[in-house]
Amino acid sequence: MTAAADETARRLLATALQVDGGEIDGEAAIGRTERWDSLAHMRLMLGLEEHLGRTLTSEEMLSIESLGDLIALLNGAPG
Amino acid sequence: MSSWQPGTILKLETEHYLLRSLTGEDASEAYISWWNDPDVQASLGFEPRGWDWSHAVRHIQRFDNRRNFHLGIFPKGESLPIGFVSVFIEHGNRALTNTVIGNRAYWGRRVVLEVRERIFDFLFDEIGVAKVYGRVESRNFASIFNYKAQGFTCEGVLRQHGLGIDGKRCDTLMFGLLRDEWKSQAKTGAFR
Repeated sequence: MTAAADETARRLLATALQVDGGEIDGEAAIGRTERWDSLAHMRLMLGLEEHLGRTLTSEEMLSIESLGDLIALLNGAPG
Repeated sequence: MSSWQPGTILKLETEHYLLRSLTGEDASEAYISWWNDPDVQASLGFEPRGWDWSHAVRHIQRFDNRRNFHLGIFPKGESLPIGFVSVFIEHGNRALTNTVIGNRAYWGRRVVLEVRERIFDFLFDEIGVAKVYGRVESRNFASIFNYKAQGFTCEGVLRQHGLGIDGKRCDTLMFGLLRDEWKSQAKTGAFR
Protein backbone atom coordinates (compact mmCIF):
# COMPACT_ATOMS: atom_id res chain seq x y z
CA MET A 1 0.00 0.00 0.00
CA THR A 2 2.76 2.44 0.96
CA ALA A 3 4.87 1.60 -2.08
CA ALA A 4 1.85 1.95 -4.33
CA ALA A 5 0.97 5.29 -2.77
CA ASP A 6 4.54 6.46 -3.16
CA GLU A 7 4.57 5.49 -6.83
CA THR A 8 1.18 7.10 -7.50
CA ALA A 9 2.15 10.28 -5.67
CA ARG A 10 5.36 10.61 -7.66
CA ARG A 11 3.50 9.99 -10.91
CA LEU A 12 0.81 12.56 -10.11
CA LEU A 13 3.36 15.14 -9.05
CA ALA A 14 5.60 14.51 -12.06
CA THR A 15 2.63 14.95 -14.38
CA ALA A 16 1.63 18.18 -12.64
CA LEU A 17 5.17 19.56 -12.71
CA GLN A 18 5.60 18.32 -16.28
CA VAL A 19 8.84 16.46 -15.55
CA ASP A 20 9.93 12.80 -15.69
CA GLY A 21 9.08 10.76 -12.61
CA GLY A 22 12.75 10.25 -11.86
CA GLU A 23 13.19 13.98 -11.40
CA ILE A 24 10.87 14.11 -8.39
CA ASP A 25 12.92 14.83 -5.30
CA GLY A 26 11.79 13.01 -2.17
CA GLU A 27 11.76 16.38 -0.41
CA ALA A 28 9.62 18.06 -3.09
CA ALA A 29 7.44 20.74 -1.55
CA ILE A 30 5.80 24.10 -2.13
CA GLY A 31 8.42 26.80 -1.64
CA ARG A 32 11.24 24.33 -2.20
CA THR A 33 10.56 22.93 -5.66
CA GLU A 34 10.94 25.57 -8.35
CA ARG A 35 8.54 23.97 -10.84
CA TRP A 36 5.79 23.63 -8.21
CA ASP A 37 3.99 26.83 -9.16
CA SER A 38 0.34 27.83 -9.12
CA LEU A 39 -0.56 26.13 -12.40
CA ALA A 40 1.33 22.98 -11.41
CA HIS A 41 -0.58 22.96 -8.12
CA MET A 42 -3.85 23.27 -10.00
CA ARG A 43 -2.88 20.36 -12.26
CA LEU A 44 -1.90 18.33 -9.20
CA MET A 45 -5.21 18.87 -7.44
CA LEU A 46 -7.22 18.04 -10.56
CA GLY A 47 -5.06 14.98 -11.26
CA LEU A 48 -5.49 13.80 -7.70
CA GLU A 49 -9.26 14.18 -7.90
CA GLU A 50 -9.30 12.26 -11.16
CA HIS A 51 -7.25 9.48 -9.57
CA LEU A 52 -9.52 9.30 -6.52
CA GLY A 53 -12.67 9.63 -8.59
CA ARG A 54 -14.10 12.27 -6.31
CA THR A 55 -13.80 15.89 -5.21
CA LEU A 56 -11.24 16.63 -2.51
CA THR A 57 -12.53 18.06 0.74
CA SER A 58 -11.11 21.43 1.77
CA GLU A 59 -9.18 19.75 4.58
CA GLU A 60 -7.60 17.24 2.19
CA MET A 61 -6.75 19.91 -0.35
CA LEU A 62 -5.22 22.17 2.30
CA SER A 63 -3.11 19.31 3.68
CA ILE A 64 -1.02 18.96 0.54
CA GLU A 65 2.18 20.99 0.62
CA SER A 66 4.74 18.29 -0.17
CA LEU A 67 5.27 14.90 -1.77
CA GLY A 68 5.06 13.40 1.71
CA ASP A 69 1.64 14.98 2.26
CA LEU A 70 0.48 13.54 -1.04
CA ILE A 71 1.67 10.04 -0.09
CA ALA A 72 0.00 10.35 3.32
CA LEU A 73 -3.28 11.33 1.72
CA LEU A 74 -3.12 8.45 -0.77
CA ASN A 75 -2.31 6.01 2.02
CA GLY A 76 -5.41 7.12 3.88
CA ALA A 77 -7.67 7.18 0.88
CA PRO A 78 -10.18 4.36 0.54
CA GLY A 79 -9.64 1.89 -2.27
CA MET B 1 10.95 52.47 1.56
CA SER B 2 8.75 54.22 -1.01
CA SER B 3 8.37 57.99 -1.43
CA TRP B 4 4.59 57.72 -1.11
CA GLN B 5 2.60 60.24 0.89
CA PRO B 6 -1.02 59.49 1.91
CA GLY B 7 -3.47 60.53 -0.79
CA THR B 8 -0.92 60.46 -3.59
CA ILE B 9 -0.20 57.90 -6.28
CA LEU B 10 1.61 54.89 -4.83
CA LYS B 11 4.45 53.44 -6.89
CA LEU B 12 6.30 50.28 -5.96
CA GLU B 13 8.85 48.27 -7.90
CA THR B 14 9.84 44.60 -8.08
CA GLU B 15 12.40 42.84 -10.23
CA HIS B 16 10.05 42.48 -13.21
CA TYR B 17 7.09 44.76 -12.48
CA LEU B 18 6.07 48.27 -11.59
CA LEU B 19 3.04 48.71 -9.35
CA ARG B 20 1.17 51.99 -9.60
CA SER B 21 -2.14 53.31 -8.31
CA LEU B 22 -4.54 53.16 -11.23
CA THR B 23 -6.39 56.29 -12.33
CA GLY B 24 -9.45 56.76 -14.52
CA GLU B 25 -7.17 56.96 -17.53
CA ASP B 26 -6.18 53.33 -16.94
CA ALA B 27 -9.71 52.07 -17.61
CA SER B 28 -8.64 50.40 -20.86
CA GLU B 29 -10.62 47.90 -22.88
CA ALA B 30 -8.50 45.11 -21.38
CA TYR B 31 -9.07 46.33 -17.81
CA ILE B 32 -12.85 46.47 -18.34
CA SER B 33 -12.80 43.00 -19.91
CA TRP B 34 -11.37 41.47 -16.72
CA TRP B 35 -14.48 42.53 -14.82
CA ASN B 36 -16.65 40.83 -17.41
CA ASP B 37 -14.52 37.68 -17.85
CA PRO B 38 -16.29 34.61 -16.34
CA ASP B 39 -13.03 32.86 -15.45
CA VAL B 40 -11.39 35.89 -13.86
CA GLN B 41 -14.49 36.79 -11.87
CA ALA B 42 -15.07 33.19 -10.81
CA SER B 43 -11.59 33.23 -9.29
CA LEU B 44 -12.87 36.05 -7.08
CA GLY B 45 -16.12 34.26 -6.34
CA PHE B 46 -18.26 36.53 -8.48
CA GLU B 47 -20.34 36.36 -11.63
CA PRO B 48 -19.24 38.53 -14.58
CA ARG B 49 -20.06 42.13 -13.60
CA GLY B 50 -21.34 43.55 -16.87
CA TRP B 51 -19.34 46.73 -16.41
CA ASP B 52 -18.86 49.44 -19.01
CA TRP B 53 -16.21 52.15 -19.18
CA SER B 54 -17.97 54.58 -16.84
CA HIS B 55 -18.52 51.89 -14.20
CA ALA B 56 -14.85 50.90 -14.39
CA VAL B 57 -13.76 54.53 -13.96
CA ARG B 58 -16.04 54.98 -10.95
CA HIS B 59 -14.60 51.82 -9.41
CA ILE B 60 -11.01 52.99 -9.84
CA GLN B 61 -11.85 56.39 -8.38
CA ARG B 62 -13.19 54.80 -5.17
CA PHE B 63 -9.64 54.11 -4.07
CA ASP B 64 -8.21 57.03 -2.08
CA ASN B 65 -4.56 55.96 -1.80
CA ARG B 66 -4.80 56.46 1.94
CA ARG B 67 -6.67 53.48 3.35
CA ASN B 68 -7.25 51.62 0.13
CA PHE B 69 -5.25 51.11 -3.03
CA HIS B 70 -5.90 49.75 -6.51
CA LEU B 71 -2.48 49.02 -7.94
CA GLY B 72 -1.96 48.14 -11.58
CA ILE B 73 0.72 45.54 -12.33
CA PHE B 74 2.85 46.78 -15.22
CA PRO B 75 5.60 44.60 -16.71
CA LYS B 76 8.66 46.81 -16.90
CA GLY B 77 8.83 48.59 -20.26
CA GLU B 78 5.11 48.15 -20.96
CA SER B 79 2.34 50.72 -20.69
CA LEU B 80 -0.64 48.42 -20.10
CA PRO B 81 -1.22 46.54 -16.86
CA ILE B 82 -1.61 42.75 -16.82
CA GLY B 83 -3.66 42.79 -13.63
CA PHE B 84 -4.10 44.56 -10.34
CA VAL B 85 -3.93 44.25 -6.58
CA SER B 86 -6.60 45.86 -4.43
CA VAL B 87 -5.74 46.63 -0.81
CA PHE B 88 -8.19 47.67 1.89
CA ILE B 89 -6.78 48.73 5.26
CA GLU B 90 -9.48 48.04 7.79
CA HIS B 91 -10.29 48.91 11.37
CA GLY B 92 -8.10 46.80 13.60
CA ASN B 93 -4.98 47.61 11.64
CA ARG B 94 -5.35 44.75 9.22
CA ALA B 95 -5.31 44.70 5.42
CA LEU B 96 -7.47 42.74 3.01
CA THR B 97 -5.90 42.11 -0.38
CA ASN B 98 -7.31 40.82 -3.67
CA THR B 99 -5.09 40.04 -6.62
CA VAL B 100 -6.20 39.60 -10.22
CA ILE B 101 -4.00 38.63 -13.14
CA GLY B 102 -6.29 39.44 -16.06
CA ASN B 103 -3.81 38.76 -18.83
CA ARG B 104 -3.79 34.97 -19.22
CA ALA B 105 -0.31 35.01 -20.77
CA TYR B 106 1.00 35.78 -17.28
CA TRP B 107 -0.79 32.98 -15.43
CA GLY B 108 1.61 30.53 -13.79
CA ARG B 109 4.55 32.94 -13.99
CA ARG B 110 4.79 33.71 -10.28
CA VAL B 111 3.57 37.27 -10.81
CA VAL B 112 1.35 37.13 -7.74
CA LEU B 113 4.18 35.99 -5.47
CA GLU B 114 6.57 38.64 -6.77
CA VAL B 115 4.24 41.62 -6.54
CA ARG B 116 2.60 40.65 -3.27
CA GLU B 117 6.00 40.29 -1.63
CA ARG B 118 6.66 43.96 -2.32
CA ILE B 119 3.15 44.97 -1.26
CA PHE B 120 3.40 43.02 2.00
CA ASP B 121 6.70 44.73 2.79
CA PHE B 122 4.97 48.07 2.16
CA LEU B 123 1.98 47.18 4.32
CA PHE B 124 3.95 45.80 7.25
CA ASP B 125 6.88 48.23 7.18
CA GLU B 126 5.40 51.52 5.97
CA ILE B 127 1.71 51.34 6.85
CA GLY B 128 2.41 49.27 9.95
CA VAL B 129 -0.44 46.80 9.66
CA ALA B 130 -0.42 43.86 12.04
CA LYS B 131 -2.01 41.37 9.68
CA VAL B 132 -2.79 40.74 6.02
CA TYR B 133 -5.62 38.46 5.04
CA GLY B 134 -7.56 37.23 2.06
CA ARG B 135 -10.36 34.91 1.12
CA VAL B 136 -10.60 32.43 -1.70
CA GLU B 137 -13.01 29.84 -2.99
CA SER B 138 -11.85 26.29 -2.27
CA ARG B 139 -11.81 25.34 -5.96
CA ASN B 140 -9.37 28.12 -6.80
CA PHE B 141 -6.30 25.92 -6.47
CA ALA B 142 -3.90 28.42 -8.05
CA SER B 143 -4.78 31.13 -5.57
CA ILE B 144 -4.58 28.72 -2.65
CA PHE B 145 -1.10 27.75 -3.82
CA ASN B 146 -0.08 31.41 -3.70
CA TYR B 147 -1.29 31.80 -0.12
CA LYS B 148 0.55 28.66 0.95
CA ALA B 149 3.71 29.67 -0.89
CA GLN B 150 3.79 32.95 1.03
CA GLY B 151 3.36 31.37 4.42
CA PHE B 152 -0.30 32.20 5.04
CA THR B 153 -2.30 30.06 7.45
CA CYS B 154 -5.79 28.90 6.60
CA GLU B 155 -7.68 30.29 9.59
CA GLY B 156 -11.14 29.20 8.73
CA VAL B 157 -13.37 27.31 6.36
CA LEU B 158 -16.77 28.83 5.59
CA ARG B 159 -18.70 25.79 4.51
CA GLN B 160 -20.55 25.89 1.18
CA HIS B 161 -20.21 29.65 1.32
CA GLY B 162 -19.45 30.43 -2.29
CA LEU B 163 -19.72 29.38 -5.89
CA GLY B 164 -16.73 27.72 -7.51
CA ILE B 165 -15.36 28.19 -11.00
CA ASP B 166 -17.46 25.17 -12.02
CA GLY B 167 -20.62 26.89 -10.78
CA LYS B 168 -21.13 24.46 -7.88
CA ARG B 169 -21.27 25.46 -4.23
CA CYS B 170 -17.92 25.32 -2.48
CA ASP B 171 -16.24 26.30 0.75
CA THR B 172 -14.65 29.72 1.19
CA LEU B 173 -11.23 29.71 2.84
CA MET B 174 -9.87 32.51 4.99
CA PHE B 175 -6.09 32.94 4.91
CA GLY B 176 -4.11 35.18 7.27
CA LEU B 177 -0.49 36.27 7.63
CA LEU B 178 0.82 38.03 10.74
CA ARG B 179 3.62 40.57 10.76
CA ASP B 180 5.97 38.33 12.76
CA GLU B 181 5.37 35.44 10.39
CA TRP B 182 6.27 37.61 7.42
CA LYS B 183 9.36 38.98 9.14
CA SER B 184 10.44 35.49 10.10
CA GLN B 185 10.25 34.45 6.45
CA ALA B 186 12.39 37.44 5.52
CA LYS B 187 15.05 36.28 7.96
CA THR B 188 15.11 32.68 6.78
CA GLY B 189 14.52 33.39 3.12
CA ALA B 190 11.66 30.93 3.15
CA PHE B 191 9.35 31.18 0.13
CA ARG B 192 11.29 34.14 -1.31
